[in-house]
Order: sequence, then C-alpha cells, then structure tokens
Amino acid sequence: MTESLSKQSPVRAVIVRAGREPLVHFLLIGALLFVGVLVGRSLQRPVVRIDAQELGQLAGYWSTQMQRDPTNEELQGIIHERVDEEVLAREALRLGLDKDDMIVRRRLAQKMTFASEDTANLPEPDEAVLKAFFEKTKADYQAPPRVTFRHQFFNSDRGKDQALARAKLALGKVASPQGESLGEPFLLPLSYSDASLIDINKDYGQDFASALIRVPLNQWSGPIASAYGYHLIKVDSRISAKTPTLDEVRPDVLAAYQEQARKARNATFLADLRKKYRIEINGIPQTILK
Amino acid sequence: MVVVLAAFPGSTAGSGSAVTGSVAAKPAVVAKKDTASAHLPGYNTERNAYFGDLHVHTKLSFDAYIFNVRASPDDAYRFAKGDTIGHSSGFNIRLSGGPLDFVAVTDHSEYIGALQEAADKNSPLNRLPIVEGLFSTDPVKIGAAFTRVVEAMGTNSLPKEFGDKKIASKAWKEIQDAAERNNDPGHFTTFVGYEFTSAPDGRNLHRNVIFKSAKVPELPYSAVQSQDPENLWHQMDSWRKAGIEVLAIPHNMNGSDGLMFEQTRRDGRAMDKAYSDLRMRNEPIAEITQIKGTSETHPSLSPNDEWANFEIMESYIGRAKAITKFSGGYVRDALKSGILMQDTKGFNPFKFGFIGSSDTHNAAPGSVEDRNYFSKVGRTDGKPEQRGSIPAEGRKTWDIPTADPNGNLGRFQSWGASGIAGVWAEENSRDAIYSAMRRKETFATSGPRMRVRFFAAYDYPQNILKRSDLATVAYRSGVPMGGDLMPSKGKAPQFILWAMRDPNSGYLQRAQIVKGWVENGVAKEAVFDVACSDHLAIDPATGRCPDNGAKVDLSNCEPTKFKGDAEMKTLWRDPTFKPNQRAFYYARVLENPSCRWSTWDAIRNGTPPNPKLLPTIQERVWSSPIWYAPSL
Repeated sequence: MTESLSKQSPVRAVIVRAGREPLVHFLLIGALLFVGVLVGRSLQRPVVRIDAQELGQLAGYWSTQMQRDPTNEELQGIIHERVDEEVLAREALRLGLDKDDMIVRRRLAQKMTFASEDTANLPEPDEAVLKAFFEKTKADYQAPPRVTFRHQFFNSDRGKDQALARAKLALGKVASPQGESLGEPFLLPLSYSDASLIDINKDYGQDFASALIRVPLNQWSGPIASAYGYHLIKVDSRISAKTPTLDEVRPDVLAAYQEQARKARNATFLADLRKKYRIEINGIPQTILK
Repeated sequence: MVVVLAAFPGSTAGSGSAVTGSVAAKPAVVAKKDTASAHLPGYNTERNAYFGDLHVHTKLSFDAYIFNVRASPDDAYRFAKGDTIGHSSGFNIRLSGGPLDFVAVTDHSEYIGALQEAADKNSPLNRLPIVEGLFSTDPVKIGAAFTRVVEAMGTNSLPKEFGDKKIASKAWKEIQDAAERNNDPGHFTTFVGYEFTSAPDGRNLHRNVIFKSAKVPELPYSAVQSQDPENLWHQMDSWRKAGIEVLAIPHNMNGSDGLMFEQTRRDGRAMDKAYSDLRMRNEPIAEITQIKGTSETHPSLSPNDEWANFEIMESYIGRAKAITKFSGGYVRDALKSGILMQDTKGFNPFKFGFIGSSDTHNAAPGSVEDRNYFSKVGRTDGKPEQRGSIPAEGRKTWDIPTADPNGNLGRFQSWGASGIAGVWAEENSRDAIYSAMRRKETFATSGPRMRVRFFAAYDYPQNILKRSDLATVAYRSGVPMGGDLMPSKGKAPQFILWAMRDPNSGYLQRAQIVKGWVENGVAKEAVFDVACSDHLAIDPATGRCPDNGAKVDLSNCEPTKFKGDAEMKTLWRDPTFKPNQRAFYYARVLENPSCRWSTWDAIRNGTPPNPKLLPTIQERVWSSPIWYAPSL
C-alpha cells in the first residue's frame, strides 16, 4: 500500500485519499443535490407563452392604430412590451398588489357580471306567459292612426276668399274625369301612403289632421284649412289608432320579456351572492338582502 | 347616392368628382334600393325635407360635464323624439316644435368620458390635483373649472390618466350603442359621430365627424393627436379605405379669427390641387349657423347686405377675447375666395354646401327655439339672469349696469337661438340622409323648420311654377342646391326658389338670391330680392321689396296680423349674368320680424328687454349654393 502510493504522483495521491474521506462524500452529494435542485427549479420556472394567435392579434391592434403593418423591429418591441406586461402583472399578483385596488376590483366585478349574464340562457317563454306579459305592457306598442290620401292645394297668400272660392269651385269639378289637377303645386308631397297621423299633424296642423279622420272615404272633401292655405282631400284608406296583436309585434315583445327576465335574473343572482357573505359596514353587521 | 343620380340624370352635375369617387364603394346598398319593396314609409323620388341636429353634446363631453350636465346620449335622442328631460339648472325641457327627424350625438373626442370618470369618488382620477374643485354646482366656480381644463388641454398638460383608452372606449361604445338603439329607419335616423376639437392658440378649427353607418373606427381621431385638420382628413381617407364612410362638418368659423378659411395650409405651405381634393372629399358641407353665432357673413364683409347683421358673435370660443380678423371666418367670403382660386390656381378648396345645427351642451337637440330658449352650457347660462336678458339681482330696470367681470355675460348675450339642419332626401334613413349631405343637397335654418327648394337650369318651361310636377321637372332638367350648372351656351341661368313657412313659426317676408362672382380678377357679391310677400312688387329703383309693414308688439311678442306669406315661389333669371364669369348662387328666405329669445325672457320676467340687444330678429333659411363654371 505504501509502495503503491509512492509510485503515484502526489496530487493523485491526495485525490485518492480525499475520495475515501466521508466529509468529501458528504460535500459531493450536497453539490450534486444543489445542481439538481437548480436544474429542477429552472425547469419549473413559470412560463410566459405568447402564441401565434395572440401575436397576430397584437400586431393587428398595432396596424389598426398606425394604419400599416409593423416592421420586424417594431414587432420585437410589441412582443417585449407584452412580455414585460405579463411578468410585471404576475409579480404584482405574487406580491398581492391586486388586493385593495379599486380598478382591479371593478374590472373583476365587471367580468363576473358579464360571465354571469353569458352563462344564463335567455328564457323561451311559453305562449301563455308571453301573452300575459304582452297584456300588461300593451300600451307600449300602440300605433298612431295611419292614412293614405291625396290632396290639392290652394294658396291663400293672395287672398283667403279667392282661395276658398277656387277650392270650392274645384270641389265641384273633381267628380269629372279630368278634374283632378285643379290644385296648385305644393312643396310638400301631394299624396301620402300609409302616413302616420302624428307626422301629418306636425307638418299641417291639427285641423288638417283631424279632417283626415273625419271625412268620408274615396271622395274629395273640403276645403280644409292648414297652416299653408286650403286643401281638398281624398282619403283612400285609414287604419285607426290600434294596439297590435301579439303576432304583429312578437319579436319586440319577446325581446322586452327577455330583457326584463335578464334583469330579474341578474338581481336574483346578486341577491344569492350576497347571501353567501356576511356583510359588515363599519363593524356593524348588515341585513341588506332585500 | 348612385341611385339618386340614376333617378335624376339631370342632376349628375350636382356632385363633384372628388365626391363620386369616395362613395362608389357601396354597391350592396344600391342593389338593395333597386327593389321597390326596400323603400321606407314616406319614400319620395322628389325627396322630402328632413330636419335634424348634427351637433349635440352630452355628459360625455368634458365641458358639458363641468357645466353639470348629466344627460346621456340616450337622453339626447329621447329629447329629439319629443320627450321631456331634465336641465342641469333644475327645470324640465322639451321641444315645442315637435320631434326632429335625425340627430347625431357629437361629443368632444378629447378626453371623452374622462370627466364623468374623474367625478367618481372611487376612481383614481378623482385624486389627481386638477380635479380639485372641478365639479362645483356654483356657476362662478364652474366657469373657473372650465377655463382651467381648457387651458390644460391647450398646453397638453392634462394628466395622462384622463386620456386612458379604456375610459374613451367605454364612452365611445355608449355613443355607438345609443345611436344603434335609437335609429328607427323611416321615422328617426341617428348617426354615430364626434367633435374634433382643434383650436390652435384658441382659434376655433372644430369640426364634427359624422359616420355613415354603424361601421366606425375603434376610437375617434382627436385633436390630441393633431391640431391640424389636414391630418384628420388623411385619417378619414384611411378609414374610408377600410370601408368606414365618413365626412366632417366644420363650424364656428366666426370664432377662428380668420383661420378656418385661411389661404394656406395649416402648416404654412401653399395649397395645391391635392390639398383641395382632400379637403372637399372630406368636408362637403359646413355648419353656418348655431347657438354661438351665425357665420354666413359679417357686416364688415358685406356692407351692402342689410341683413348681414344676424346673430353675429365677435369673440373667441369659450372666452371673451375679441375677434380681429373676419375674412376667413365667414362662409360667403370663403365661397368667393374659392371661386377666385379656381380661376387663378385651378382648384377650389372652399366649395361646400350649408347646414345648421345647435351645438347644445344640454343634450337637447334642436333647442334653438327663441320662445323656448335655455341656451346651451348647462348650469352656467340656464337662467335668464345668467345670459343677460333680465337685470341682475331682481331689479326691474336696466339703470344699473350688470357687472360682467369675466365677459361671460357679454358672450352669452350675443348667442342666438339658431341652427337646424335641413336635408332633401328620399326617405328618413342613414343612407338617404348621408347621401344628401354628400351631394350638398342641404340647407340651414335659424331655428324654424321652413322648407326651401332651389334649382337652376337654362331652359325651364315657361309655366313650370304652375305645373303640379314642378319638382320632377326641376330635377329632370336642372340641378338642385349643392349642384353645378353646366357651362352656358349664351343664356343666363334661371333659378327656381320655392319656400314654405314652418306652421309653428312666422310668415315669410322676402326671398333672396345671394350671388358671388369673379370679375376682372376680383371676387364680388350681391344680394337680390327675388320675391316679396303681400302682393308687393320689387322696387326697380332699389331692387328691394318694399316694407310689408310687419312689426312685433314688444309687450307680448305678437306679430302684426295678416302680414307675410305662407309660401314664396319664383323663377328668376340672373340679369347680371356674364358667361365668362365664374359664380355661385344661394337662396336666403326671411320671415317677418319676431321676438329674439332675450325679449321673450324679458317679457316672462316682466322687465324691459336689455337695451343693448336687438329686440327682434328675422328668422331665415339658407340653401346650399349652386356653382356656375364658364367653359374653358
């Protein structure tokens, strides 16, 4: 053993001797463990992944704003910015910076509101329910009277009596086949198809509008005074003010029903949520579930 | 638009080539309209007059919010449809003239929605130093807050949190949603829009940006990005390329101190054809009258126009600094510069049509009724005393002058109840009304909803005014307002001017044609009376209608009975026409005199009208011009 030692170089001898030392074994194992943990940790480091879809989206935003595509360098910039944002955000979460932050809380609440609405499918009410709802809200769908009519105009700027006389004369003649163009040109339309009486009232005044409801159908009547002069009118058809049937306004009623149901659901959802919590304001327990 | 041209081949000259190019990108709409069944109720090939307001602010505008306005875009649309809403001074407001036909909410895009956010105690914006004292209900403090924010905007020193995109997006979405909800084709049309609020050194270059459809950019392009309107137009061009059709309407040129129609580009470079095309492609019409004054012309620019002194505002926008340069700030003057430039340089950057709108900051579209006036900046001018129409502190006379330390009273006094948008469109829809604006078939009124038709041709039939197909023939053989006459073959052009009163307003007194032309290298103007009311004939010596004797009883605002006409209609041939002189013509029709809003305020208060203010005005309507070009 001594002999063999003497044959070896002194350095080697030290290593060999050290290799037999328990302390060295201990240190080596420790170092290996340490490296192993380091490698393991590095493999476990949280990953920031930006996939192709998000990258395309980011570049898209950029292009919309700048009205051109980003260069390679600018794309690197966009990526950098996104990565920085991500790591900062995660670090902030790790440190609990999201706690007691108004904006974060609001955004979360907003997202939750959206999420709770999206998951709830809108109800498809059965016929009886929809009908009952319509009966209750009928007044919302009432349509004004509608008229289809023609009229002739007699300007009274050059004398009311003359205009009235011309209009009366014309009324006597309109029964004849060629008698229908005795009136004067008029800046507003001379014929209306299915016009709302509200619109007519606005443009011609109350007297004229109510005459359209009063006069007999399919014959020339008048003269009727308006804000402009005198008119002969011939009403072809009238639809009186009416509340439509459910079938006529079904999509609107359904939308209104669902809107109302959606609101009710949101309210219930919130009320239920509140029940899951005990609420204390200023140290005093509240019962605000109503 | 393409449909319209097909229906009226004679009117093709009515649209500049720059315009045609930009609209050609919508074949789908044309195909839809070709089927008769697609027409809405009230569809009329001869077109109907529709009345609206394309300049409306709500609480989402930074200034309106400071003025205590809390009404939303939805409230604005409700008001336009005839509903009652609340005013920030604590009373209810409602249109007395009935619902409007179309409206665009156009909030300031700069820091849109941010003041509402900042007022929220829970918002981090609320803790910024500038917010201190910003949301007072005291009119004096409101004024100070407004000035502070405007100054901060001017120096770009508003905290960057105010420009948070999330806040802007939320407001922009609210605007789009309200427009979508309230758009009701055939009855009520809404447009998505916003105001580009540029004012270099306080000189007003504001314009309203109006989108044709629900297809709009992610966010508005605002004056924070650039104060130079040319950059806005480039942005609009890019939007258009991306399928977003849009136009801009400049306003308050009267507050620009000559800047709106300056004869160079904003950056000082010379104008050229490309600039002119860019401008006209994006700004076919201009808002010539609104509450902050009328920008048709100024008495100093039109000394021979006895009616030039209508609701003139001679100060900067938002502060009491006096305007010193009127040329470049009024549209008649600009139209004249434009035709002169066309002659000397070969392009015309000022070839625009006319429209009016209110600029209400009370979310109250169409609130330009003299007898039902509450001005437009919320809690700062909602009461008569605040706008100088009644004596201060409950006094009964004007013996003691009212203090006006910051000049607000002076400005509010000079504002007018004026500004309604008129269009001639086939039906009440976004497509039809937008197309009317594109081809400049638009008109402006000082508030009443009077209608005016204006056509030109060389050979209308002799009896055209008596024909029941007047409008059909007028379109078929001529051009409507906003159009271009073909070169003359020697004959002078004839104009059909046809106007009808508003049943809820006064009677018409006279119809006029305003002409501008170029003579020996100088742009000139003249105002012709072309029709008189009450059987009166134009006096050949003066060229004017004689006085029709219409007056107003200032104790109750009652007009003289049986004066004026319901309708004015004439065929006029220009007696001064020279085929080699480039020219434009537009119609102006005046009502009999009636009480100005300040007089109504005084009567309701039982005090005499403010002696510094005109007690009466003559309400009026202006058509868009028709241009004449000599053959080359």
